[in-house]
Amino acid sequence: MDAGLQVDQLSRRYGPVVALQDLSFQVGPGELFGFVGSNGAGKTTTMRIVMGVLAADVGEVRWNGGRVTLESRRRFGYMPEERGLYPKMRVLEELVYLAELHGLTSAAARAAAAGWLERLGLSDRGNDEVQKLSRGNQQRVQLAAALLYDPELLILDEPFAGLDPVAVDVMSDVLRERAKVGIPVVFSSHQLDIVERLCDHVGIIQSGRMVASGTVDDLRRGGPRRYWIEAPTAVDGWAQAISGLAVVRRDGSRTLLELADGTDDQAVLRAALATGPVHEFRRDIPPLSELFRHVVSEKAQV
Amino acid sequence: MRSGIATVFLIARRDFITRVRTRLFLIGTILILVAIAGYVAFQVLVLSKQGKVSAYKVAYVGGAQSLADPLAAAVKSLGFSIERKPVRDQAQGETEVRNGSLDVLMSGSADSPQVLVRDQFSPTLEALLNQIVQQRALDRELAGAGLNPAQVEARVASARVQVHSLKPPVGQEQRLQAVAAGFVAALFLYMALLTYGNFIAQGVVEEKANRIVEILLSTVRPEQLLIGKVVGIGLVGLLQFVVIGIFAFVVTTVTHVFTVPTAAAGIVLAGLLWFVLGYFLYAIMFAAGGSLVSRQEEVQSVVFPITMLAILAWFVAIGVLTPMFDGQPMSNVGIILGMIPFFSPVLLPTGMATGDMAAWQVLLAVVLTLGLTAAATWLAARIYANSVLRLGARVKLREALRGG
Repeated sequence: MDAGLQVDQLSRRYGPVVALQDLSFQVGPGELFGFVGSNGAGKTTTMRIVMGVLAADVGEVRWNGGRVTLESRRRFGYMPEERGLYPKMRVLEELVYLAELHGLTSAAARAAAAGWLERLGLSDRGNDEVQKLSRGNQQRVQLAAALLYDPELLILDEPFAGLDPVAVDVMSDVLRERAKVGIPVVFSSHQLDIVERLCDHVGIIQSGRMVASGTVDDLRRGGPRRYWIEAPTAVDGWAQAISGLAVVRRDGSRTLLELADGTDDQAVLRAALATGPVHEFRRDIPPLSELFRHVVSEKAQV
Repeated sequence: MRSGIATVFLIARRDFITRVRTRLFLIGTILILVAIAGYVAFQVLVLSKQGKVSAYKVAYVGGAQSLADPLAAAVKSLGFSIERKPVRDQAQGETEVRNGSLDVLMSGSADSPQVLVRDQFSPTLEALLNQIVQQRALDRELAGAGLNPAQVEARVASARVQVHSLKPPVGQEQRLQAVAAGFVAALFLYMALLTYGNFIAQGVVEEKANRIVEILLSTVRPEQLLIGKVVGIGLVGLLQFVVIGIFAFVVTTVTHVFTVPTAAAGIVLAGLLWFVLGYFLYAIMFAAGGSLVSRQEEVQSVVFPITMLAILAWFVAIGVLTPMFDGQPMSNVGIILGMIPFFSPVLLPTGMATGDMAAWQVLLAVVLTLGLTAAATWLAARIYANSVLRLGARVKLREALRGG
């Protein structure tokens, strides 16, 4: 019933600075959860608390209903914001070492490391020192390090930062595929288009609080109902008879209308048709980035 | 569930392998071996040279010529010889002493000879000469008193002190060799403690600086990472120490710099024991110090107090051990200093090899060092766990102890 990751009422202060305040969310099996927020909003702090490298002042992180322990965390895959690998170790050896630390036998660790290097297109770099790889390739190794031991949960802090478009696709495919086999995946990103494309669920965090969360669709449709309408022969005041209708802005012959709760969109369309031809009548669903800006600026004003 | 030991083993193995494979380790070890070979070669050369140098070139003029035979006879029993050179007169002798072709010019009467040297007169020769001159004066007095000088001397010679030692008789030669080797061992231990201690501190900071510690600590406990690192780097040191020890033992024994192989073996084994004990004590402190900072540039300043402690130990070793080169036993002050765990590693190998420290004293030093190491480990684990994930500014020691 409580399958997956539950983050329950986390609070954390750094001296006088409140980093997290009553932060809660959950990610079920097979869910891709995108974590967005401005710099310093608390994403990294949350992920570090989940991974046990930072302690919460208040609150709890549960895994499948139970408290997270070192044993359960050994089965989590983690990609920290500040990438961390031994720069002077060879790629393959480094991966084998990390896999062994997570409980794999030596043979299984070797097989897994070789498999992931192949999958990420780094087979021929296995014997190179990590520091000789480009930034993007180091990032691939870092991803391999998080995936090697078939983790039951993935926590990835900014996995897309600094990747070229090809690498972004590889990373996206891997995350989708992991989610498909039933693993909860949590990742943070500033690239909202990627989050929008990839995630089922999104959490927007601002100053340590979760200000909006839900499915991407719900969030996008959760704002005010707005419609674009193009009715070239309509004259001002054509819709005066309908209450709860406001003009947001005009764009050439198109007009953006905002409908209040309870206003029937079909009545608006009928009124428009009464003035002549209607070339366009379409619900305006804002992209995540606009929603994000909206939520964040609204909160900033409060 | 995997045991903690297995985790520590994995961590130690990584640190051991990555360090043994570096060029620094190979070159460093070879340089030390070359230095030992060079030192031994120097010893061999100096020893063989000393046999030749000890022929003194002496010239006699006037009444002093009658001293030549008794002095040559007396000198022979001491293992060096006198080469008698003829000179025409006092003036030519003085010239030759001045330009160095003559070591000693003796003139004056046989009863009160005059000695001319360029710089300093050998104290041994001076004592011998005084003995000869005084003996002659005594013989004359005895004869004047109507006694037979030969009989009196025989009676005098039979009156002598008898020495009994409670310690098993250790040959003086073996003792001196043990002291010399102990001093070299103390130097190696001091350098090893500093070198490997710094490796530890740098290793800890390396993991902090490149953030891998965050990944590691999501799957292992801080204590496991700390102990694994200390053990892994310690094994590198141990390997180096064993290689050096075996090499030194073989080289000194083959070249007969050490005439007593058991003394050489004893010092190598005592050095090994104290390398292990001393290393753990110092390494754990270096590790705790390293965990307080996040950048390699800050390592030196944070481990400075520990470095000073090691340097102090080396000065203590010099102060305690150098008098022993004159055949002195280890002083009581030295023995007490040897009981202080920070100084034990540099003093105890000598104390054990010479037998100057009793078994209970050695045992007490071992127990004290182990006890302090245990306490330091507990404290270091606490400091380490509280500061290793705090990146950025240097963590204050008080905060690290209190926890965060």
